[in-house]
Amino acid sequence: MRLLRLREVKAFSQGHAASHQLGWNWTPHLSLSPKGLKILAASLSCCGCPTGKGMSWAQAILLARGLSRGWGGICSTALTGAPFSQVTPQAPRGLHCSTAAHQPDSPLVPRPPEPQRGLVKALAPHEELFRQAPDGVRDKASFVQAVQNFTQYNVHKRGHVDFIYLALRKMREYGVERDLAIYNLLLDIFPKEVFRPRNIFHSIFLHYPRQQECGIAVLEQMENHGVMPNKETEFLLTQIFGRKSYPMLKFVRMKLWFTRFKNINPFPVPRDLPQDPVDLARLALRHMEPDLSARVTVYQMPLSKDSTDATDPTEPHIIGIQSPDQQAALAHHDPARPIFIEGPFSLWLRDKCVYYHILRADLLPPEEREVEEIPEEWNLYYPMQLDLAYGRSSWDDYEFNIDEVEEGPVFAICMAGAHDQATLAKWIQGLQETNPTLARIPVVFRLSASSGELLASSSGLEEPPLTPPEGREEEENNQQRQQQSQS
Amino acid sequence: MSGCGLFLRSAAAARLGRALVAFTASRRPLRTSPPSQAFAKELFLGKIEKKEVFPFPEVSQDELNEINQFVGPVEKFFTEEVDSQKIDREGKIPNETLEKLKSLGLFGMQVPEEYGGLGLSNTMYARLGEIISLDCSIAVTLAAHQAIGLKGIILAGSEEQKARYLPKLASGEHVAAFCLTEPASGSDAASIRTRATLSEDKKHYVLNGSKVWITNGGLASVFTVFAKTEVVDSNGSVKDKVTAFIVERDFGGITSGKPEDKLGIRGSNTCEVHFENTRVPVENVLGEVGGGFKVAMNILNSGRFSMGSAVAGMLKKLIEMTAEHACTRKQFSRSLSEFGLIQEKFALMAQKAYVMESMAYLTAGMLDQPGFPDCSIEAAMVKVFSSEAAWQCVSEALQVLGGSGYTRDYPYERILRDSRILLIFEGTNEILRMYIALTGLQHAGRILTARVKQLKQGNATTIMETVSQRVRDSLGRTVDLGLTGKLGAVHPSMEMSSPPCHGGEQPSLAAGPGHHGRAVLSGVLPPAPQDSAHKLEQNVHALGRTVETLLLRFGKTIVEEQLVLKRVANILINLYGMTAVLSRASRSIRVGLQNHDHEVLLANIFCTEAYYQNLFALSQLDKYSPENLDELIKKVSQQVLEKRAYVCAHPLDWTS
Repeated sequence: MRLLRLREVKAFSQGHAASHQLGWNWTPHLSLSPKGLKILAASLSCCGCPTGKGMSWAQAILLARGLSRGWGGICSTALTGAPFSQVTPQAPRGLHCSTAAHQPDSPLVPRPPEPQRGLVKALAPHEELFRQAPDGVRDKASFVQAVQNFTQYNVHKRGHVDFIYLALRKMREYGVERDLAIYNLLLDIFPKEVFRPRNIFHSIFLHYPRQQECGIAVLEQMENHGVMPNKETEFLLTQIFGRKSYPMLKFVRMKLWFTRFKNINPFPVPRDLPQDPVDLARLALRHMEPDLSARVTVYQMPLSKDSTDATDPTEPHIIGIQSPDQQAALAHHDPARPIFIEGPFSLWLRDKCVYYHILRADLLPPEEREVEEIPEEWNLYYPMQLDLAYGRSSWDDYEFNIDEVEEGPVFAICMAGAHDQATLAKWIQGLQETNPTLARIPVVFRLSASSGELLASSSGLEEPPLTPPEGREEEENNQQRQQQSQS
Repeated sequence: MSGCGLFLRSAAAARLGRALVAFTASRRPLRTSPPSQAFAKELFLGKIEKKEVFPFPEVSQDELNEINQFVGPVEKFFTEEVDSQKIDREGKIPNETLEKLKSLGLFGMQVPEEYGGLGLSNTMYARLGEIISLDCSIAVTLAAHQAIGLKGIILAGSEEQKARYLPKLASGEHVAAFCLTEPASGSDAASIRTRATLSEDKKHYVLNGSKVWITNGGLASVFTVFAKTEVVDSNGSVKDKVTAFIVERDFGGITSGKPEDKLGIRGSNTCEVHFENTRVPVENVLGEVGGGFKVAMNILNSGRFSMGSAVAGMLKKLIEMTAEHACTRKQFSRSLSEFGLIQEKFALMAQKAYVMESMAYLTAGMLDQPGFPDCSIEAAMVKVFSSEAAWQCVSEALQVLGGSGYTRDYPYERILRDSRILLIFEGTNEILRMYIALTGLQHAGRILTARVKQLKQGNATTIMETVSQRVRDSLGRTVDLGLTGKLGAVHPSMEMSSPPCHGGEQPSLAAGPGHHGRAVLSGVLPPAPQDSAHKLEQNVHALGRTVETLLLRFGKTIVEEQLVLKRVANILINLYGMTAVLSRASRSIRVGLQNHDHEVLLANIFCTEAYYQNLFALSQLDKYSPENLDELIKKVSQQVLEKRAYVCAHPLDWTS
């Protein structure tokens, strides 16, 4: 039963996180404009609990559930004037607003003026807290300041759920979305001990659902940014929601799975990618090349930093990588066979996409492959091969029967600022310095984005260039082309 | 189901292998004149070639007296006049020391007497090596001169070449060096870059290239140089082949680099040698043009056995020095020698010294036999064992001294540094292990293939024998349920191949007519080490079976299974050591040498230790045994080498 419910919540929070409908999804008709609130208040008063005073919160939540389920239809029909699409999630005023809940005896404490004004002015309350930064600087300090302002002025923490949702959205702007301390600070806004379940029924039924959803939303955002909660988070969550709550469960799961998934990528990409295209290309090439002794060469630097864009296409950067093995393979390449420059292919590094080109040859037909023979007088110390008539027996053959599609050798990879033939020809020129044989080998350009002419370095071996339909579908094109070339 | 099939097949293969062994065994006595089979190769077939190793080789009293005449003055010179510490510190052997060495004739120990050398046999050479090794720098200098530098002339040189070069080399007037290693070529002959091109008048070769790590490179005036030459094949194609040349420094164009700054053997001269348009007369080609590979291999293979006795000599001296300290130094009002952990170290040193001495003299004795027996595997085993034992023992000796052993006031640190080179030069131990294992496997494989062929041709007797052997084996296995009980059983070879017992001077293996014809080395060995002898037999038999299984499993791809090969080599080294100590100990008992009971002790200790090591290694060679960690080891090394770094996260790291 519990598990089922949890999965439900999880599914909701995940499915709707993107659409900023975190929480409250299953009772959308309760997160309403003031008009709806009035209806609710009326319904509450009908039950003989004016202003909610004296009503235990267990009753309240049961009521709320009843409302949400049984009365939901009535409410929603009554609210035709406020279609849901227009109801922004910034404006939910929950039933279990903490201020009202915690301090039912002091309703006369004056509200801090700012949030009230904000509520009047804009749909998002507390928005102005984030506009207060003196010089418009958006950094951690100003974010912390905003949060502190909220807690300072809003002693009752009225509307803290809204504020937390708002703050979560603002984090990226302030560049603090990966800061654990900030998340802990946000969690700290929640009033302590209030939402803790006090008996078994509290724990069975979602106690203070809106607040729990909000807590989950905070953790969810941490998860999305790969922030591992720490002891302090745990402490806060136990203080706020107690051990048997959904945010706590989320926390425990994060603790479990983060450790398992954090390093699951065997080829990790640094978190902060370099901004400079040259450095980025360097990184990307290293990322693709498995051989650690491969050398990255900068064949051409961009002229100046201002002209990296299309303004000056004459001097884009050209960075290539080649390993000693590739160099040797190229040196042994039969000059009668052409080699191909293909690309651009895309490579994603976190949120950036870079394009690269490869220099490759077709696979030699099997009859032309040289059989590697062991020279007779090779090793001075021990025989390199045994004069035996038989090989490895089948019961000691660990090789599975895998159909392997052999590919032609790749001789080098490059990344350039421009994907045109002129730029790539410069790359080939640069490669010729370290690979003298390249000068004798015809190079065929097979660029998918540009419908450039073939480089007529040798006649008779050219193929008609394939006209690619789209620049972004290089890989498919490439596959097609390979099939064509193999057939 | 498939697993079951696999098992059946493997079992069948194992049985087939055993049957095949038995077959060769039964074929042996049919030969009219059995060729002198090297001992080690036969071990791979699960057989002990007893004639080679029993009795332990002896020298006559006259020869012994002759050796002792040499040994006396040399020993006196080394103990009194050679200052090893000074040589090490200054990185140079003083000229007067070199002169004295020359006058003692130590530069021509193995040069035949007609060319002015001492003409020592291998055994006598080994004996002198014991003393020369008291200073490692001198030993290395002398070894580079005569064990490899001029060895080529003795082995492959023509009469003219010998007459021209050997006298001056033997007297020490000329020093020789061996130039094989190049920056790009260690043991890889194909990547030798030094080139010799025939001049137009066809009278000279022009030599160009550089060689590195040439011992005596700065002192030498005669070099044995290996270079690529163009050779026309029988079918008319031109190929690059290695050719050996004798090059004099006076030919011109030879420059040597500055001496390398080494960890140990600092007194020896090691440097680069460059040849620039050096004109070498065609008469100075050593051996045939294009035959340099064989020359190099022969030189390298021939020089190794002497390391055993050299290290043994050094160890004996070391034991004396260390024992002196252990018996005088007092801690807790007891001398160090009373502590068990210190005593253990001395037992270890004595045992290792005894084993390597036995191995070295056994090998030397084999080499001294008439005909040119091929003992290269044995020599390689001596080299591997002695170099590793040297490193271990010197380290233990230093440990006895504790902190003072680590200082320069004592010679231990110098000996430790010096002995490190032993594991590296003359073929690294890794490479020699490959050599030992592969050469033996090649031998076993050849015989196996022949038998497989016969079986396939449907030779009736072969098939009958195979089948009956198989039945007997399987029955025997069910009875004994293991290796220990019936190991002697599958040794019909011993029964059949050994002639009837002679007794007296030429004792041979009389096969005990026990259960299944169990053959204990009873005819050879006195009772004391017989238990060890039985262990040796068990191991040898198990090795024979394992080798066949391995050959059936891997076939020619076994070349790539280096971890397997290493274990085979280790087992073989142990077996050879066991044989050597048993042979020597039994001789000592028979002759009645002093303290022969001590020898028996050492022999038994070594044999028992080696026996269990072998059992472990043999079980590691089993494909499915829990001791076999090859796959895991390979995985770890792959991951480390892929990253080219230590893979694990720091122990203090967190996930985030």
